Amino acid sequence: MRTLEDSRLTVDDLIAWLMRFDEQITRQAERLTELDSAIGDADHGTNMARGTAAVRSRLSAARPDDAGALLKSCGMALVSTVGGASGSLYGTLFLEMARRVGAASELDRTVFAAAFRSGVAGVVARGRAELGDKTMVDALQPTVDVLDTAAADGVPLADALRSAADAAAAGRDATIPLVARKGRASYLGDRSADHLDPGATSAAILVQALADSLAERGR
Amino acid sequence: MIGLVIVSHSPRLAEAAVELALQMVHGSVPPTRIAAGVEGRFGTDAAAVAAAIDEVGGSDGVLVIADLGSAVLSAGLALELTGSSTEVILSGGPFVEGITAALVLAATGAPLAEVAREVSSALDAKAAQLEPLPEAAVAAAPDTSDVPDAPDPRSADEVLINPEGLHARPAAMFVQAVGGYDAVVDVTNLTTGTGPVTAKSLIGLLSLGAKQGHRIRLDGQGPDAATAVGALRRLLVDGFGEATSAPG
Repeated sequence: MRTLEDSRLTVDDLIAWLMRFDEQITRQAERLTELDSAIGDADHGTNMARGTAAVRSRLSAARPDDAGALLKSCGMALVSTVGGASGSLYGTLFLEMARRVGAASELDRTVFAAAFRSGVAGVVARGRAELGDKTMVDALQPTVDVLDTAAADGVPLADALRSAADAAAAGRDATIPLVARKGRASYLGDRSADHLDPGATSAAILVQALADSLAERGR
Repeated sequence: MIGLVIVSHSPRLAEAAVELALQMVHGSVPPTRIAAGVEGRFGTDAAAVAAAIDEVGGSDGVLVIADLGSAVLSAGLALELTGSSTEVILSGGPFVEGITAALVLAATGAPLAEVAREVSSALDAKAAQLEPLPEAAVAAAPDTSDVPDAPDPRSADEVLINPEGLHARPAAMFVQAVGGYDAVVDVTNLTTGTGPVTAKSLIGLLSLGAKQGHRIRLDGQGPDAATAVGALRRLLVDGFGEATSAPG
């Protein structure tokens, strides 16, 4: 049975999330780059892997004291190592979350949902992309919606994150027929259709990593 | 003097663009920093951009000029990361033309908003270069022998004698020369009927399409108008110090 504590994320939970994110990005880097070679500049996998590796080494070197410091450290590591739009956008996601949670040492599901919503709002504002533009927003926005609803309905966090991961994957797959309206892929116009968006794919990995790391904690 | 921050995916691209622009700057160079590349690869790093803004940030403000898409994103994020309280404007102007216009005008001590405007319109000169020559205007240009010498020292008419006309280097000399005076000088290409543009705008001057043999009119206003017009007139008469030949 789950307890109330199951619906909180500790600093260790967040570290486990980001470590798993790195593991999955590293494992799927080649595929991400392959997706990016179809509609972009063929570097999304290598760029993201370099970024998540930097996050891993920062978190391994020093364990941040609170959730805000952890998310900020992660955001700055991504900004300074990923390069390109992904660095600024993933950086913004984490920096906005950090700003929202402040010095909290634990995040309950409502706070986490609100923080994730702030992060995604930051990404939307920075990249000026909307749902349906064939970007990471297509995976992130459904995640926000599921987390918000689940928090309001009192759904345990692990269950909410499983649904969120499914929603992110569905959003990712929905990018296939879309014509890109933002980023490098938008230069291709109609030729960007029939391809999975690499940014939505890495964003779905981010959400899946949190669902998986939390499910593992519950075992 | 304002500061400039150049954001590029490539350090080599940024360095070359700044080097090219500096050909036009004689005298003091505005504080300029480059934030380009990520760990030796193509890319941009918002933290590096923020650090560059902090380094150049004086009281006169900072103009940021970026190359492609994500460089603009990084510059936007950098505004949130900078510790400097100086005013920062992110320019939407073109990279090479914009850096050139910015360095030339900033070197004269022009304020941030004015440099930002100049950079935003920095593509106009190139566009004007490709427009068909206004033949009608050339044909209708007044017979220069009929134009009486203006007695007012705040105005002057001179024929361009240097072979290349009012190209980038002489135009930059105009901007620099007028920058030192409390005066606004309008420049008109009487031969083509183009202008007037302000002598402070490199881009405006280039858009006049002034070639060797074209007649240029200067109209000054402000306390130093006569001195400023005199200085510009001397540049015209001297052919900007370039090897000259008789206008053909």
